[in-house]
Amino acid sequence: MSPRLFAWVTLCLGLHLGCFVPSVAIATAGDALRFDNHSDAVHLIGGDARLQLVISRGETSVDKATSVDKATSVDEARSVENATSENTAIARSRSIRDVTHSADIRAEPLGIVNISSTGQVTPIADGTVTIIAKPQSTDVELQVECEPATMQLTVSGIGSEPPLSFPHRIVPIFTKLGCNSGGCHGKAAGQNGFKLSLLGFEPREDYEHLIGESRSRRVSPAVPDQSLLLTKAINASPHGGGQRLEMDTDEYRQLRRWIAQGMPYGDDSAQKVVSIDVIPGTRRLAATSTQQLAVIATRQDGSTEDVTSAAVFESNDTAMADVTARGLVQIHDAIGDVSIMARYQGHVTVFTADVPRVTQQPLVFPEPSNVVDTYVFAKLQSLGIPPSSACDDATFLRRACLDIAGRLPTLEEVESFDADTSSTKRITLVDRLLETPGYADYFAGRWNTILRNRRSRGPLQFSTLAFYDWIRESFANNRPYNEFVKRILSASGTVASNPPVAWYQQVPDTNQRVEDAAQLFMGQRIQCARCHHHPYEKWSQADYTQLAAFFTTVTKKADHDPIEQAMFTRVGGATSPHPKTGQALAPAGLDAENAAIRADDDPRVALSEWMTDPSNPFFARTVVNRYWKHFLGRGLVEPEDDMRMTNPPSNPSLLDALAEDFVNSGYDLKQLIRTITASRTYSFSGDANYDNLLDRRSYSRFYPKRLAAEVLLDAVDEVTLSRTAFTGMPQGTRAVSLPDTSFDSYFLQVFGRPESATACECERSQDANLAQSLHLLNSEQMQTKLAEDSGRAATLAADDSRSDAEKVTQLYRLSLSRSPNENELKTMLTHLSSKTNRREAFEDLIWSLLNSKEFLFNH
Amino acid sequence: MGAGGLSLADILRSEAASAVATPSTKHAHKSVINIFLAGGPPHQDMWDIKSEAPSEVRGEFRAINTNVAGIQICEVFPKLAAMMDKAAIIRSVVGCSGGHDAVQCMSGWRPNELKNVGGRPAIGAAIAKLFGPVDASVPPNIGLAAPTKHVPWSDSGSSGFLGAAHSPFKPDGPGMKNMTLNGITLERLGDRRSLLSQIDTLRRDIDTSGTMQGMDEFGQRALDVLTSSKLVDALDLSKEDPRVVERYGDGKPYNYQYDGSPTCNDQLLVARRLIEAGARAVSLSFGRWDSHSANFDLVRDHGGKLDQCLSALIEDLDTRGMLDDVTVVVWGEFGRTPKINPQAGRDHWTNVSCAYLAGGGMRTGQVIGSTNRLGEEAADRPVHMQEIVATLYHNLGIDTSSTTLADPTGRPQYLVDHQPIRELI
Repeated sequence: MSPRLFAWVTLCLGLHLGCFVPSVAIATAGDALRFDNHSDAVHLIGGDARLQLVISRGETSVDKATSVDKATSVDEARSVENATSENTAIARSRSIRDVTHSADIRAEPLGIVNISSTGQVTPIADGTVTIIAKPQSTDVELQVECEPATMQLTVSGIGSEPPLSFPHRIVPIFTKLGCNSGGCHGKAAGQNGFKLSLLGFEPREDYEHLIGESRSRRVSPAVPDQSLLLTKAINASPHGGGQRLEMDTDEYRQLRRWIAQGMPYGDDSAQKVVSIDVIPGTRRLAATSTQQLAVIATRQDGSTEDVTSAAVFESNDTAMADVTARGLVQIHDAIGDVSIMARYQGHVTVFTADVPRVTQQPLVFPEPSNVVDTYVFAKLQSLGIPPSSACDDATFLRRACLDIAGRLPTLEEVESFDADTSSTKRITLVDRLLETPGYADYFAGRWNTILRNRRSRGPLQFSTLAFYDWIRESFANNRPYNEFVKRILSASGTVASNPPVAWYQQVPDTNQRVEDAAQLFMGQRIQCARCHHHPYEKWSQADYTQLAAFFTTVTKKADHDPIEQAMFTRVGGATSPHPKTGQALAPAGLDAENAAIRADDDPRVALSEWMTDPSNPFFARTVVNRYWKHFLGRGLVEPEDDMRMTNPPSNPSLLDALAEDFVNSGYDLKQLIRTITASRTYSFSGDANYDNLLDRRSYSRFYPKRLAAEVLLDAVDEVTLSRTAFTGMPQGTRAVSLPDTSFDSYFLQVFGRPESATACECERSQDANLAQSLHLLNSEQMQTKLAEDSGRAATLAADDSRSDAEKVTQLYRLSLSRSPNENELKTMLTHLSSKTNRREAFEDLIWSLLNSKEFLFNH
Repeated sequence: MGAGGLSLADILRSEAASAVATPSTKHAHKSVINIFLAGGPPHQDMWDIKSEAPSEVRGEFRAINTNVAGIQICEVFPKLAAMMDKAAIIRSVVGCSGGHDAVQCMSGWRPNELKNVGGRPAIGAAIAKLFGPVDASVPPNIGLAAPTKHVPWSDSGSSGFLGAAHSPFKPDGPGMKNMTLNGITLERLGDRRSLLSQIDTLRRDIDTSGTMQGMDEFGQRALDVLTSSKLVDALDLSKEDPRVVERYGDGKPYNYQYDGSPTCNDQLLVARRLIEAGARAVSLSFGRWDSHSANFDLVRDHGGKLDQCLSALIEDLDTRGMLDDVTVVVWGEFGRTPKINPQAGRDHWTNVSCAYLAGGGMRTGQVIGSTNRLGEEAADRPVHMQEIVATLYHNLGIDTSSTTLADPTGRPQYLVDHQPIRELI
């Protein structure tokens, strides 16, 4: 995904550099204002044409700054001494700022165009005009040192009113006003008898509904203002959706004129939009600043047009920035990066902004360990965020054990790791953990859940166990990830002979299979395109249908015994009918040619070959992003399985590099874990310094993660020396080793264990809630574990061979993997000595450790 | 058993919400009491008596006048008849899927809607998600339905794709037990608390996801619940004025025939107390109305009890100035056959059913829709079950035409497809 996006951004930047014609932006070096607008859009044709000016002040092109960021800063980041020059570049580029809404803008001569205070140009007469932007007269600082900017603009066609095209001019108004949104007339059943296609993807149908049904009422060419289309929109007739439009607007006038023209359909393919661009494409912005965007549509005939006022905007992170309906971005008081999506006529594009911290100090980075650090440090450098220091050994040990094996370090591990003086002991630890059964248990459980492997009801079923065992074995033996996925996707036979067949039993219909496979292995949420064009991606219903076609020959032998029931592929051409046209479509991957499949081939083999091919842009990136999130707490793309073009990664270079590394390793998941955990980045302290507390997506420090439900329950058992029993499983089975998520456990449920009902990792909840606090602080289950006769508290109270200080130290090492500090030891000892009932006193100590945030979090 | 939890975002929302609430209006938050008549009440023996129909359809009940001229209801409900001005009856409810379950009454949606992403959330879950708690120690979404063998009759509304955190809190099972001290004294809890506060020193602001801070807040609330609980008090009717308790009628749970939640008049009073304590949605299941035999005996039994406690609830809410803020809805999964069967029963009838609504600032004292002569189908103004749910959302202050919840795929989902009932709002 990202390289395409990345390439796309680069391509657009290249084009724009070419298009920012000096004759448009007369900006000399040094401080000056300039117009960022597209040179081709400066000819306004007809009274409906609009131009959103984008005016900035500053000497350095943001595009240059971006190229520094992306291309060369990697090398620079390696060397601390280069940091200073890098900072200069940051400082320079930071001086660019958007002044569209504050500049004094006038046009000469008067009478050709009007210009609003927000920089929107409206043509009123034919002619050529010069637009001059000067710093606001009250802005003394700017006034003194800043050159004005000028641009030429030509207006023609005023007075002639060519017929308005329904699909190209009227439908976008419905989209902008929300008429055809999923909550109103765009939903499948329409609203109060009036139906529009979702987001206007089917203009022909919309036209039929608008004109064909109740012709005289919805649109009345004789008395346009009496048309329900208009009276409802302005709420003059009662309208469930309320007022959507004012009479004194461009949109009202255009709708009215179209009706007066007799509602032409105007299917002029030359007007079809083929792409849209946003200006600027990327920029570095200061916290709390604003940026006006402009959106340019390119039509089939090659013409370009400003469509800012008709485009729909959306921020991918409203904690970072908001955007108005008119394309004004408001950056909040935050640091990091943010993307703003613009959408028009089924096309999408993104504006991305980096919001650096203002700093004068050179940043100091440790020597990068590997490719992870190279790109993380480059990003931090570019954003001016200093990293936290490295975490201590005890923290690393606990972190690695929890993340790799899903458990706390044992006492022996704590002691031997502490005693180990080798400089490579962290790497040795990771290698060792990857060979323990805990690793296979933990990761098998995570995959088992999103592969939806669970019993349907009642006791555990053979197929669930067989599939779980197969998954677990794959991780224990480190089967290459591409083979793992291929085996699942192309599974045939019985569960007994080939356990991944269970996936086809668990995910019973073609739609769910194609949607699960796309989301799990490619991070694509293709389900939108089942019923309509994906609103935030390029996927059409045809794309969906072709991907689904791979699964259409899967069938099962009639046998009521699910163990013996075989999945196989029918002989015959796999095709799937397009939901609208009914045309039989051949199997094809996303963005791929039709697959060459013979009638006696299993199409799923072709699917898995395409999906796992090294050149597949989705496959490796999706899994490395998943694993990145597992270890670092936040995906490079977030949510981790929604890798849209309009949801770009926070660090594209890192995602690309990790994916490339992963492919080159032969899809080696253990190697991926080694790469991530060997980085300095993974070893950063969870503690924040003054300057990186605000960072929540650039990995300048380790973001703490609450222990997952199963891990937490096992950890509680370990510290209290008790065992939780799970129906049907042998005594001593740990929660992370359970073969499905259907075991009855209030503890697991309340701490957010997913039900494995979907392929989405988001089913697992890490949120805090009242019920879990009550359970941890005061439940019969917890009190029983604390007070068990063979439990930790009883054992410690009965042990006369050691001092209380030694016992408290042991409790700290067990639960927090470290020794207590002086204060903690004193607090604990004071409590012990104040109580006559020793056993209860130890229960209290353990209770308080288990309820401490340091225990509950991996930090 | 729902987790009934509150997330940090909920707390923050609740604080924001309480900040705008006028301090003088104590019960300013809007809420819903959803009374599910499991099994499908006989619409023609409740609010739509067919006096003119032939005897094999008409049944045993006569219609009585209400305090609104021109509106008659079944003689089994004299107390409700005397306060018809405070209620609205819908005689033309359509859209029943026919399943013996509460799903449509709880959410407005058929059971399999969006099943592959977890299902549609019920009203209580949606409101919990959108508004969070009023009082952070009282869950916003509470289900009182007593367990039934036929589980869908005691469904308190699924959280669907919103996840377990928004499931209805059920004051039974582990969640309830955890609200009273388990095996330790209050003094010892105090000792533990003080110990914890001394050693729990990990820096909180390093977790920008808010989970850590959330756990602190909930930990504090949990300890508050254990020392003095609004929630536990609200559930304890010994704290209520005995005269009020008496007005609701015999409150013990009664089982009639087999299965089904008991008719438990007390639950309506508990619902009012929970709303007062801060709940936004309380649902309960009242009796088992699946009258395949002895239909009229069943209506006399269940109906008489319902008349007592429902009239008490409406009067009580009115007296306390809460009626405009609390919407009460009383309905079941479908109607019953016009023709009486040989066992003096009526069987399942999905063509039309009925609903009784009160409060919520609605235009009450009216009947909406009608059925044909034999009560077989809606004769005019068919009202889809979702329109009723949309009306409940409207009364809760939610604009259903613009409010969405993101499902796990990130797709915005509207709460309902239909609009609120224009005659009522």
